[in-house]
Amino acid sequence: MFANREQKVAARPQEALNVAIIGCSGMGRIHAEMAANCGLNIAICADKSKKAASELAAKYGAKAMTDGLKAAAHKDIDCILIATPTPTHLMFVEAASKAGKHIFCEKPLARTTADCKKAIAAAKKGKVKLFVGHVVRYFHEFEGMKAQIEAGKVGEPGYVKIYRGGMFPGGPKGWFANYDMSGGVTFDCAIHDMDWVRYVFGEPERIFCQALLKNEPIPIDYSQSNIRLKNGMIATIIGTWAHPSGFQVKAEICGDGGMIQYDSKEAPISTMVRDTGDGPSMMVPASPVAESPYQREWEDFISWVHDDKHQPRVTPEDGMIAVKMAEAALKSSATGKPVKL
Amino acid sequence: MAKIGILSFAHMHAQSYAACLNALPNAELAGIWDDNPKRGKAMAKDFGTKFTAKLDKFLAGDMNGVIVCAENVKHRELVEAAAKAGKWILCEKPLAPTVKESKEMIAICKKAGVGLGTAFPCRFAPTLMDARAQIQSGAFGEILAIACTNHGQCPFDWFVDEKLSGGGATMDHTVHVADALRWIMEKEFTKVYCEKGNLLHKKTMKTDDLGMLNLEMEGGIQVSHIASWSRAKSYPTWGDVTMEFIGTGGVLNVDAFNQKVNVYNDETMRTEWAPYGDNPDLGLVSDFVNACDERIAPSVTGEDGLRATEVTVAAHKSADSKRMVKI
Repeated sequence: MFANREQKVAARPQEALNVAIIGCSGMGRIHAEMAANCGLNIAICADKSKKAASELAAKYGAKAMTDGLKAAAHKDIDCILIATPTPTHLMFVEAASKAGKHIFCEKPLARTTADCKKAIAAAKKGKVKLFVGHVVRYFHEFEGMKAQIEAGKVGEPGYVKIYRGGMFPGGPKGWFANYDMSGGVTFDCAIHDMDWVRYVFGEPERIFCQALLKNEPIPIDYSQSNIRLKNGMIATIIGTWAHPSGFQVKAEICGDGGMIQYDSKEAPISTMVRDTGDGPSMMVPASPVAESPYQREWEDFISWVHDDKHQPRVTPEDGMIAVKMAEAALKSSATGKPVKL
Repeated sequence: MAKIGILSFAHMHAQSYAACLNALPNAELAGIWDDNPKRGKAMAKDFGTKFTAKLDKFLAGDMNGVIVCAENVKHRELVEAAAKAGKWILCEKPLAPTVKESKEMIAICKKAGVGLGTAFPCRFAPTLMDARAQIQSGAFGEILAIACTNHGQCPFDWFVDEKLSGGGATMDHTVHVADALRWIMEKEFTKVYCEKGNLLHKKTMKTDDLGMLNLEMEGGIQVSHIASWSRAKSYPTWGDVTMEFIGTGGVLNVDAFNQKVNVYNDETMRTEWAPYGDNPDLGLVSDFVNACDERIAPSVTGEDGLRATEVTVAAHKSADSKRMVKI
């Protein structure tokens, strides 16, 4: 099986790019590490929280800033990473575009399709690359499923189901629990799978969705999407932020000649830490790979920055259509009607 | 001792019911009628009972009840004939493909004063009984959403001929879960949206082999259900019934038939899941035998069959109109 694995050599930068990390909590920290692994220089770490900015900046010997807009246009940088709450993505994209900085934006590209259009227009005008972090396209297991499908192992695919999620992120006071900002699990999590389904199987025709979007008594969200593709396929996408703990991804593809199933719980490493009375025990399943999917995203982005002819796996339009799909799902959930795309 | 006959072996579940009748100490498989005499005779031989070719003669025989396992569209006429002969009736699911037939069957049995049951063995599966008890205990708080599946391999034969089945996988594999959820939640369905189609067997048949339903139950509970004949021929088992209950107090997952041992056999070159645990059909048949003996209604009634058919009929209507439909 290893012989089939794509042997990719990252395009090494002629000169290390300088990057500003905008948003220094969970995803910002992961991206800083990945960018550094790719040989980039973490020049600025910006966060509204001075503490978060300083902590990450200290790790990389970077400059800490609290004004993300200033960071996005700073003379010392070549590109930015946006890992802030979704509705703020557009302003950073616009600031960086205006200053001629390339952009790696976490998904979703923006909170609305209209904002995505503005972001794409800004990047075009500024002649900068706008990359959207639909990282599932880079996950080894999803690449593996795509390869099996393309090898004809399921025959002609007719049905796909993807299940993703776990506990509610960020707690009751975090921005994810503000559904106007985050769009809940549909917009922030299931969007990964909407993008992947479109990437592998084609364009959507209509979406029906039920989403909980509950905040009382505690934040709970659960999203069940029923998508008809233009080619006639049906896709089920279930996203959960309703579980008391853990995280799980399951996928299933059915065709006229076979099936594929994947379950992240079937991981090669799982651990249990004995509860010594100091705190709860943990069980952390892991499926280590030599190169993280997040790092592979960075390599793709960097190659694109250095070479206009390089085709990144995710285009800005892909990012916009994923937003359009998630937006349609939420509209369907609010109206009780299917939404045409 | 209840004497039970079987009307038709068109549905393969008849074989399991016949075996259950032979296994139960208080029941006797009294005979078999089938409009396919070759099949009926073979089954009578297999299960050690007699075959009768004429329906009126069969129903005039010494029997307390009958189990109807004919093609779905034949359920109504056979139930009517059995009811008029004063027999207690257990009808294979779906009770009937249409709401009209289902209501007529209930009325006929009521008038004849005989018990009518619908064969929903899920209600007798210990795994689902346990799930129901846990949900009803309130341990998971208020249930807000449920995600379900009932997958299977394609049964082909008359199942894929709508003139005999009245519907494809969306009907065949929605009724079990619709009934099980009504029973577990003690709530009715109110609305349904459905996408369905022939997605996996275009070359071999015409009817739908997969339907995805988004339903609502009383109180606004959001339910998704996938009914399919999507399991590959090489899949290690026939299919599944799964449910994920999302509650304010936690999550409960059921994979009702995931009581299995993995078998790797070099002669078949195919991995198989060999089931262990209890046979839900035995509970279903035993309940019917008791109903016949005591001349009371079976636990799972004709009305329960009607409620499940109302869901599938509304789902078909939704798939055609592409709108959410009231149930």
